[in-house]
Amino acid sequence: MRSLRTIGTVAVSVFRESVRDKVLYNLVAFAVLLMAASYLIGQLTAGQDIKIIKDLGLAAIATFGLMIAVFIGIGLVWKEVERRSIYSLLSKPLSRAEFILGKYCGLGLTLAVNVAVMVVAWYVVLAYMATTVPPEVRAGWTTPATDLGMLRAVGLILVELMLVTAIALFFSTFSSPFLSAGFTLGLWVVGHFNADLKNFEAVVDSRAAGWFAHGLYYVLPNFAAFDIKQQVVYAQAVPAGYLATTALYGGVYIALLLTASVAVFSRRDFK
Amino acid sequence: MGRRFFTPVLLVMLMASAIGLQALRERGGELPAGPDSVLYVRSPAALQRMALSYKSILADVYWIRAVQLYGDTRLGRRADRSFSLLHPLLELTITLDPYFGVAYQFGALFLAEAPPGGPGRPDLAIKLLQRGIEAKPDDWRLYQATGFVHYWSNQDYAAAADWFGRASRLPGAPTWMGPLAAVTLAEGGNRKASRLLWRQIQEGAADDWFRNEADRRLKQLDAMDQIDLLQNVVATFTAKQGHAPAAWADLVRAGYLRGTIVDPTGAPYRLDGSTVSLDPKSRLLPLPKEGARP
Amino acid sequence: MDAIRTEALTKHYSVGFWRPRPYLALEGLTLSVGQGEVFGFLGPNGAGKTTTLKLLMQLIYPTSGTAQILGAPVGSADVKRKIGYLPENPYFYDHLTAEELLEYFASLFGYGAAERRQRASRLLDEVGIGAERRLQLRKFSKGMLQRVGIAQALINDPEVVFFDEPMSGLDPLGRREIRQLILRLRDRGCTVFFSSHVLSDAEALCSRVAIVARGRLVASGPLSEILAFQVHGWELVMSHVPVAVLECALKDGRVAKALPLGPDRYALDLPLGTPPERLLADLRSAGAELVSLNPLRETLEDYFVRQVAGARSDRGLE
Repeated sequence: MRSLRTIGTVAVSVFRESVRDKVLYNLVAFAVLLMAASYLIGQLTAGQDIKIIKDLGLAAIATFGLMIAVFIGIGLVWKEVERRSIYSLLSKPLSRAEFILGKYCGLGLTLAVNVAVMVVAWYVVLAYMATTVPPEVRAGWTTPATDLGMLRAVGLILVELMLVTAIALFFSTFSSPFLSAGFTLGLWVVGHFNADLKNFEAVVDSRAAGWFAHGLYYVLPNFAAFDIKQQVVYAQAVPAGYLATTALYGGVYIALLLTASVAVFSRRDFK
Repeated sequence: MGRRFFTPVLLVMLMASAIGLQALRERGGELPAGPDSVLYVRSPAALQRMALSYKSILADVYWIRAVQLYGDTRLGRRADRSFSLLHPLLELTITLDPYFGVAYQFGALFLAEAPPGGPGRPDLAIKLLQRGIEAKPDDWRLYQATGFVHYWSNQDYAAAADWFGRASRLPGAPTWMGPLAAVTLAEGGNRKASRLLWRQIQEGAADDWFRNEADRRLKQLDAMDQIDLLQNVVATFTAKQGHAPAAWADLVRAGYLRGTIVDPTGAPYRLDGSTVSLDPKSRLLPLPKEGARP
Repeated sequence: MDAIRTEALTKHYSVGFWRPRPYLALEGLTLSVGQGEVFGFLGPNGAGKTTTLKLLMQLIYPTSGTAQILGAPVGSADVKRKIGYLPENPYFYDHLTAEELLEYFASLFGYGAAERRQRASRLLDEVGIGAERRLQLRKFSKGMLQRVGIAQALINDPEVVFFDEPMSGLDPLGRREIRQLILRLRDRGCTVFFSSHVLSDAEALCSRVAIVARGRLVASGPLSEILAFQVHGWELVMSHVPVAVLECALKDGRVAKALPLGPDRYALDLPLGTPPERLLADLRSAGAELVSLNPLRETLEDYFVRQVAGARSDRGLE
């Protein structure tokens, strides 16, 4: 369909801009971090070097990705409107909805590429560390160093990042970057405290407050659900059903945010 | 030409001054030492909340702190010699990551170690291991560690044998676990059982630290055997000559020994009257107590 | 079918957060532009020119009224395929090169790779961008950006083109080139709608104009019919003027005023009644030399000031 092609064109343009803005240089920082850590950690701990590199890799992938999602996401729309490059763009056969979706897919593509490269670097470091370790020690590991099962956590991290991007994009359609960053990061933090919201009634006497908190629990994005890092590092079983439901939840929430973004953006006057 | 070099020279001079001042300040000594270990968050529940999705990596960080605390205190690098933060750090570690096996195993050993090498708290060690067993009821290593603490710190050989036995029945337990339980029950406190225990650990150790510790323990047992042997020789000499030897040379001249005997670390044994002992600076001190059965 | 048609197009903004007051950007604009015309949309700053263009591009939505381009409502995909737009002080993506920008916009129309390249190349030639087309746009001067902006407006060979201040940022040579380009567009049958505050551009190019001031349409039609811009006199500058002849012309009213510009050089104001050719011939035969001859007329700014004062007094009466 013509629409898909248009969205794809905008997406590729966003990706190209990210590359030229040297966003992908964060990968260099990531690689340096991992390699330095793998060297230093061997000096510091009693055993468990591999576990720490696994944890560090996952945490760094999630964090670098979060920074990119937020700090580029909040400017995605705002920058174009502020600098007025949107004037000439929207005079072309491009609807406002296609513009929004194209921007989103572009940043999603950037994130996916970023995460993929980080995952490869991370596995390379793990494989290297595995070779430097004597075979008896390696036999004692419950899970291999380059356990591909960890990719399940990476998959959910990617869905989480796409959700954060959608939130940032939504705020970017009507708010300045400073506020957008605050709201987006704020939602991300709150989204990890969902368990507390659910059990609010146990803490507070008011039934109404409990109902309200319970309602918020369902409405606010639940980011804690995407975190299976601990489980995959210990190669514990994560049911396929859980993965599917959580990914689907992320997808539905993203669709909700994109719809809202398109709705807000379509009604705007560009001063 | 002077003007061209002015800026670079100025920069170099300023940098040198900054570095020099830094060195000067450090030579002038630290500020009066505050408590040299601070734990800002003590509540495990609070930390769990604050950790967001970084629980595993935070657990790793606290674990590294625990290991460093233990190492530094043992090496005398800290003002606070009491290992007071060790248990809180370990508790935070396992609260953030309940499956952190090594934290339970090593943590328990660190806690159980008698002073000055550790805080000497086998009760806390066993509590830590209990939490580990709640989280990972099938991990034979945790049961073995519990038995271990009972053996070395509490000298409770019946309990130790019980725990070794439980470990041996779990999936993945090594084949020597069962015999170890039996030997412990029969001859707990006996050097033979201890030697068996440590040798198994040395062979199966997953990393250097544990292997080195096992190595040290085995050397201790060897030293104890050597001391007994030397004590016998001294007793024989005293009985024959009617007086205690003044020095090792007497024994050598009398033909009981061929030369000065050194301990497994290479330091010569001391002879005080009729008592043989390790060199006071020996790494093998303190020697383990030979347990009386309860 | 008109190329552009608006009916009572109106845009109010609400200004102020606590007690919003309406701000009138455009009121009741009704105009039509035929196909193939070059239409000038003139007015001082703040008159509503850019507001009108933004309404036509559907960058903003009208409070009331309608606008159509080529018979279809503004903002529809069909319309966008057939138009081009150059915004005022354009900004494009400065990490792209000129070529890449044009190819990007071309790809939004669905052209294939080869056609995109060919269109981009042709248009960059036409607006006079040479080897710089491979530089990133952040290195371009204002004038060069303006040329790129014109190129991107024409990337799809549009039937109707909208230029907001097309000459802005260009040197005299550039202005002449763009004038010629606009005439070429007209010759190809393209409708050109451009807004400006420079009267001479409109004079040189437009068949019809509309003039807005303070959000309202104050005049429209062929420029020559808008009375205020008719010539009301001439300015004749001559050198080596014999003083006696000059005094004579002053006395009999052929010259209204004589301003000395230097030794022997005068700027003569001729009233409308005096055919300048006659006086010129007389002075030349007396030994004077022609320096320049210019029509005198009210400037657009003078016209606006009058119109604004008029609009204010109209409102006072209501």
